[in-house]
Amino acid sequence: MKKRSAWFTRAIAGAVVVATGVALSGCSSGSSSDRPANVIHVAIYGDSGNKVEQQIADTFNKTSTVKVILDKIPGANYQQKLQTIISTSSAPDVFFNWGGGSIEQFVNAGYLLPLTNFIKEDPKLKSSFLPSVFNSAAINGQPYGVPMRGTQPVMLFNNKAVLAKYGITPPATWKELLSDVKTLKAAGLTPIALGGADYWPTLMWFEYVYDRVAGPTLFDKALAGDKSQWTSKASMTALSDIKALIDAGAFGTNYDSVKFTDGGSPKLLRTGKAAFELMGSWNYSTQQSADPSFAAKGLGYTAFPSIPGGAGNQTDLAGNTNNFYSVIKNTRYPNTARDFLKLMYSPEFVKAQLAIGNLPTTTNTEQYLSTSASPTYSTFQYNLVKQASSFQLSWDQAYPQTAATAMHNAVENFFTGRIDAAGFASAMQALLTK
Amino acid sequence: MVRPGFVWAVPAAIFFGLFAIVPLVFVAILSFTSWNGLGTPHFNGVQNWVDLAHDPVMIQSLYLSVLLTFLGVAIQTPMSILLGVWAAGHQRNRAILSAIYFVPLLLSSAAIAVLWRGLLDPNFGIPGQYRWLFGNGNLFGSQRSAIAVLVFVGAWQFTPFHTLIYQGGARSIPPVLYQAAQVDGAGTVRTFFSITLPQLRNSMITSVILMIVGGLTAFDTVLILTAGGPGTSTTISAYYMYQKAFQSFSFGTASAIGLVLALVATAISLVVVRATGYDKMRSTQEGL
Amino acid sequence: MKARPNYLAGLGAFIWLIIVAVPLYVMLQATFETQVGYGKSGALGFPSTFTLDNYINAFTVGFGHYFVNTLIVTVSVVLIVVVLVLPLSYAVVRNLGRRTTFVFRLFLLGLAIPAQAVIVPIFYLISLAGLYDKLIGIILPTAAFALPICTLILSGSMRDISPELYDAMAMDGATSTRTFFRLVVPLSKGGISTIVVFSALQAWNGFLFPLILTQSDSNRVITLGLFNFQTQYGINIPGLLAAVVMSMIPVLLVYLFARRALVQGLMGMGGK
Repeated sequence: MKKRSAWFTRAIAGAVVVATGVALSGCSSGSSSDRPANVIHVAIYGDSGNKVEQQIADTFNKTSTVKVILDKIPGANYQQKLQTIISTSSAPDVFFNWGGGSIEQFVNAGYLLPLTNFIKEDPKLKSSFLPSVFNSAAINGQPYGVPMRGTQPVMLFNNKAVLAKYGITPPATWKELLSDVKTLKAAGLTPIALGGADYWPTLMWFEYVYDRVAGPTLFDKALAGDKSQWTSKASMTALSDIKALIDAGAFGTNYDSVKFTDGGSPKLLRTGKAAFELMGSWNYSTQQSADPSFAAKGLGYTAFPSIPGGAGNQTDLAGNTNNFYSVIKNTRYPNTARDFLKLMYSPEFVKAQLAIGNLPTTTNTEQYLSTSASPTYSTFQYNLVKQASSFQLSWDQAYPQTAATAMHNAVENFFTGRIDAAGFASAMQALLTK
Repeated sequence: MVRPGFVWAVPAAIFFGLFAIVPLVFVAILSFTSWNGLGTPHFNGVQNWVDLAHDPVMIQSLYLSVLLTFLGVAIQTPMSILLGVWAAGHQRNRAILSAIYFVPLLLSSAAIAVLWRGLLDPNFGIPGQYRWLFGNGNLFGSQRSAIAVLVFVGAWQFTPFHTLIYQGGARSIPPVLYQAAQVDGAGTVRTFFSITLPQLRNSMITSVILMIVGGLTAFDTVLILTAGGPGTSTTISAYYMYQKAFQSFSFGTASAIGLVLALVATAISLVVVRATGYDKMRSTQEGL
Repeated sequence: MKARPNYLAGLGAFIWLIIVAVPLYVMLQATFETQVGYGKSGALGFPSTFTLDNYINAFTVGFGHYFVNTLIVTVSVVLIVVVLVLPLSYAVVRNLGRRTTFVFRLFLLGLAIPAQAVIVPIFYLISLAGLYDKLIGIILPTAAFALPICTLILSGSMRDISPELYDAMAMDGATSTRTFFRLVVPLSKGGISTIVVFSALQAWNGFLFPLILTQSDSNRVITLGLFNFQTQYGINIPGLLAAVVMSMIPVLLVYLFARRALVQGLMGMGGK
């Protein structure tokens, strides 16, 4: 009896050790022959821009034996899901990203395919795009992404009817913004719609105020490692400006539980419950999906106001230079991926993007501006980007992905008053830049 | 007499060992590593544990887990006892009404949380329409009201289950005790406290254990209703673990939190198993 | 039973009826409204507009195949659980050896392990085995975590089989296998139906494993579908609630037709 139970215990212990050893000795995402046959998966951020992506995929599938399958991942979960699946055998062959920090750690972990060979085979994969945009997806000098949507400067949208009702013109300076806020608040509205529960809409306010007050160099230096930038005088001034806006009641009290990604804050703007929303240029297509006539006639847009006395230029922009498709190393059909990417500079693509209000970053965009859904909007965007003296990439895309949660918490805590300026500075200093 | 050999127990043991015991061992091992999901984990000693011990969100999450559990027990227990005793009666209308009460039990935590999130939406839900009752309409905007919502939804969801437990318990109270009480001239209230409650002792123990272990792991509801917010004010430990793992991609730290959860749940269960005898033990139904 | 009605409990029951029924009513009537109509009419009134669009929309979004996936998962989980728990309970009740007792204690320990605590290693193991984003990846862990409590229930119910019956089988020269199929299984019908109900409900309503272990739309189950719907279209309250109602319908149908079995099953856990 004793011998048997000793054997039994040892067997169990052995099994556990073996299982542990096998698992800890590392896992790879499987060789390319594990991947499904005759299809490539393209993961995209689920939002109103998907109709163009679907259209391009359908066009491609008409002439290709290997089919493209689009996997839409709801926007609010996109980055997390992507990071979870990229190391498994379910990793998409091609995936949507923001370039910069959003793909840097994938590159460093060896998951991504450098596109140099594709470009050798088809130089237009690089030359068709504006260089500054194309290079946002270059890591360590190698190209890793092809632009696949439009450029996305962040601008101040407004509800024209609401502004007209209260005799307000879109603010050109910070002071005007504050007084507009006062007027609107007295009228019982939420002056500015904010999707605070998504965090990154709140971040946009920081990006612009910091730029206007301190110029783009503060953030660039901080990202490069100079953490003292966060406690500098310019940084503190920017934070107190933001606080003044918050304290004036500009964002109402509900922003913490309102999202952009589920349509919450756009609806506030559209139904006239709020007058302004600071948002990326994709807001046009979001509003257009919900209510085309509002997008066409009722939606107003201006650049972010200036802050006199600050080091930044009025023409500085913040936002995303574009979104990119990157390719994983393990893809079974690299040639299919390459051919699919070629569609990103086709005239059909350019026209389709313009039709939903996006501004593609191909060198030939200007010719097609008049075909867009709203030539006024597209021309406005085009000029904004053309004249930009600098274009700040969204902070949570510039930093590595691992810093995102802490950054979002810092931003939200500052807005709700849980931390003060000094607390915000130290939270930003604690972010890992690698 | 031929009895079944050990071999009859083997398949289930292997299956369970693979999916529950091995992961438990892994959680312990992973808690001493640092891993972001890409590449392989590498050991970093007790760094995760040190960080957790100094992490205010972690400490708050433990406090919140205990608070929510305690409030859940305090609110659901009296309600379930009352309802269970009432439902144990054999009047016909009680059966029909019981059928209605039973419905929340059939729904998934996800469905219930989605339902209440929709109904209580700050901008487009009910509170906005009845501001005289709900203040500025944003029940998710302050810690106090967010906790109240979580406790309420938890009660809405699980009171039927505990009612069932007490109903079963009440049904098995021998009628002769009640007859004796009547003979003694005891009123309804006196009968309730002197006879019904003591007889329900075993049901109470079962129910409370389930509430405690379930309360520690009420992840689905927190994720969907408040996402741990506003800020981190309803981030319970189970939710914090999810955040650490699948949002911050810090699997080592998440495993440490997971290990804490497992140890606490096991400790509570062991303590009560000792106190009441093992065949009264049922658990974790609420957590899944 | 007592002759005098229990007023306090009756009052409590009435209040609880309001608390349960009113939200269900609000939910139901909201699903027939358009978004605009929902915003205008009060929550407690009748629908001001009437449309079936919300339900149609739920199908378009994918609840048809979510239902199929959930059904596959549920049936598979129940099968696995019954096939594993029956022999295990038999062993636990009849085998007095140390190894079996050890295994039983292991399962009791497992009762206390919350799935959340070990979800990270499970995720790791499942993706290592190449089972990520497949229904089988949900089925296996869900079944595993249902095992302890089902074992407890079924072994509890098996204990009620009187030893004399075993003696009778032994006198006929029956092996343990024969005893199992001829005596134990038929007499455990009550316990088996309890664990079927219990594991089916666990599988149907499971959320954590699908959330972490699946990703693509074609492998989505109902609970995850609801969560995704809320994430993406959260402000469409009527649409969202229609999806919730649809997720409830199958379980409610079973409840209507098999109420006794369902309630007995669930009460069987707590009433002993």
